[in-house]
Amino acid sequence: MHIVDGALSNDVVVAGGILAVAGIGFGLRKMDMEKIPAAGILSATFFVASLIHVPLGPSSVHLIMNGLAGLILGWAAFPALFVGLLLQALFFGYGGVTVLGVNTVAIALPAVMMHYVCRHGIQSSHKKIAMVWGAIAGASSIALTALIVTLCLALTGEAFIPAAKLVIIAHIPVMTIEGFLCACAVSLIHRVKPELFNTFFKTEAMSHA
Amino acid sequence: MRKFLCLLAVFYLFNSQAQAHKIVGSSWTDGSDIEGEVGFSNGQMALKGTLVEVFKNHDEKIGETQILDDGLFRYTPIEATTHRFFINLGAGHVAEVIVNPDELPENLKQSTTPVAVDTPSSPDITASSEIATLVAKAVRKEVQPLRKEIASYKEKNDLQSILGGIGYILGLTGIIFYIAARRKESDKG
Repeated sequence: MHIVDGALSNDVVVAGGILAVAGIGFGLRKMDMEKIPAAGILSATFFVASLIHVPLGPSSVHLIMNGLAGLILGWAAFPALFVGLLLQALFFGYGGVTVLGVNTVAIALPAVMMHYVCRHGIQSSHKKIAMVWGAIAGASSIALTALIVTLCLALTGEAFIPAAKLVIIAHIPVMTIEGFLCACAVSLIHRVKPELFNTFFKTEAMSHA
Repeated sequence: MRKFLCLLAVFYLFNSQAQAHKIVGSSWTDGSDIEGEVGFSNGQMALKGTLVEVFKNHDEKIGETQILDDGLFRYTPIEATTHRFFINLGAGHVAEVIVNPDELPENLKQSTTPVAVDTPSSPDITASSEIATLVAKAVRKEVQPLRKEIASYKEKNDLQSILGGIGYILGLTGIIFYIAARRKESDKG
């Protein structure tokens, strides 16, 4: 899922960098005291989850867990996932330092989008409904990430439609697993700490006002 | 609990076949050709028929070739310049192998330096050079599994780096907490 150094044209890399900086800045402004520990934990989750690989054809895909980060953190997912990506690039050589911006956008932007799409759904008092929304968030954020990655490659010259199909199909197992994991996480949060979503969404609503 | 155990089993299943997706490429000379090898760091080689583009001085395209069996490719250089081999393995995986002029096959290297004396090649010299190529080929073949092993060993993520990464994240969380707390204090004061 990580794009490696040298696979993209300079324009795409620069554009990705600018978008990522904007997102991180916005995310840091939105991050209040209550969100910091959650951001740290989810950043660590993301960092470790990428080590779980699912072999597929000539390539392999790995868990990303950006959906969960997005659900809980909203915009603060940008800095959290950026830190995870930076450390992955430094420690494991996944992706690379020059394409860090593009990778951050590709992974954090779907997370933020899913946050706004599913925020009401996961606050539902029915656990089942909340779980379904959690699964949707987990699976669709992977699909969106795959789309953004393909789009970036397309801007550099690869044919978009066949590549997109390939990437999406390759990620169906990961989408399934992450959807399941997200649903489990939402169910767990519902049972032990239902105020987690509420507090975060409330503080956000206040800062909006 | 049962669900959790199932999940763990699934994880283990995937993890036991853990694959990394870094690209490794290397090249050497074989007679008057440049031969190279491209594959994924887990030992899987590039697919047969993948396009290999050859560039001169980093950006000027001078030719192309294809991946043959076992992720190998072969190119006969005609100029004594830096050759850059660019292989797109798809889905954002690209490999780049650079061959500098001093790594080019012997015959090309000689063509750049002015030939001083044109000695007729005696059968002795050709025989010894043939042996040299044979030995080089044999050694390469013997060393190949070792090279693959080293590549996959480099790829291994040990517990230290995982724990290190988590440590960094915790540290950063602490720093951000500190900044946030200071901001709150100064807001009050």
